Amino acid sequence: MDKELEHSFVELLEKHQNIVHKVCRLYTNNKDAHNDLFQEITIQLWKAYPKFRGDSKFSTWMYRVGLNTAITLYRKSKRSITTQEFESVSFKIKSEAYDDTEEQQLKLLYDAVHQLNDIEKALVFLYLEDKNYKEISDTLGISEVNARVKMNRVKKKLKTILNP
Amino acid sequence: MDELELLKKDWQKQDSAYPKLSYEEIYKMILQKSSSIVKWIFIISLLEFVFWLLLAIGLKASGYNNEYGGLYSSPGFIVLSVLSYGILAYFFYRFYMNYKQINTTDNAKTLMENILRTRRTVKQYVGFNLAMLVVSVAYMLPFALSHDDQTQALIEKAQANGEIFKFYLGVIMGTLIILLITIGVLLFFYWLIYGLLLRSLNRNYRELKKLEV
Repeated sequence: MDKELEHSFVELLEKHQNIVHKVCRLYTNNKDAHNDLFQEITIQLWKAYPKFRGDSKFSTWMYRVGLNTAITLYRKSKRSITTQEFESVSFKIKSEAYDDTEEQQLKLLYDAVHQLNDIEKALVFLYLEDKNYKEISDTLGISEVNARVKMNRVKKKLKTILNP
Repeated sequence: MDELELLKKDWQKQDSAYPKLSYEEIYKMILQKSSSIVKWIFIISLLEFVFWLLLAIGLKASGYNNEYGGLYSSPGFIVLSVLSYGILAYFFYRFYMNYKQINTTDNAKTLMENILRTRRTVKQYVGFNLAMLVVSVAYMLPFALSHDDQTQALIEKAQANGEIFKFYLGVIMGTLIILLITIGVLLFFYWLIYGLLLRSLNRNYRELKKLEV
């Protein structure tokens, strides 16, 4: 592939890399697994890039390829199913604005989300990214009604995990 | 506040918490090789096609050197051979067309369906080969029995001792056991490879399908 294409792709990905980091954050539990998945998503994005026509936003296109890689294409390495060390080490928010209770609650929430299955995580991810049900249903290939129903079930499941 | 709303508030504040990869680091990544299951499915599927092709060629090559050479010029065998190569070509064409349809920019469900369809084609091909194996053995066994001098001597000996029924029963049972073991070993490897490779894909596909019920 020509250099110009490489350059434009790397520049766009550098700018939007947080989307990939966020997918990796939900689907992996430690730094090595995060890096592995990040690399695989990057390769899949690059492979699909020549067909990217710009009729959708680059970021929207990234959500789709990123989630597809995490849910379908990525072979989880053994190290991705170890502990939750990554959550607490790398991304723990240290904002002054939070009191201890809220911080504790957030920690429990992130842990609970990690216990969901891959499809439930995808729904949560798109919800956290403020995507509407139309976009959620388009990304996953389910109807809008089913996306809503499933989202409500996920909310209930999270409540159950948090308050067993 | 709803738990997810609290999480969303926090999630959207965290942009600066993620690592920032440089242009060079990302560039290095695009030069790496993918280790996705699609790549593995492609490699393993090709190996399966090659395996059955080599097996057929190998069997024929060894057959020409032994005393049942006549079998390979019999009309039944020629028809079977032409049919099996034709079917190989058909399955390979279907596999390739399905494989080309796999597109990471499709929605998750379509992507999973396309991957599973590609696998199904190869699975059908393996099923066809196993069936062919049984048919070929059934066709070749009487031929081998009637054309091999040593076997003929054994048959005559069994006839003289009045044990001809026992002899044929032994041959049939022996062949069946060898066939069953061969098929069992092949299916075990099959289950092992694809069980591991497609476990999470199948699980996620079932989860999406469940939503439609």
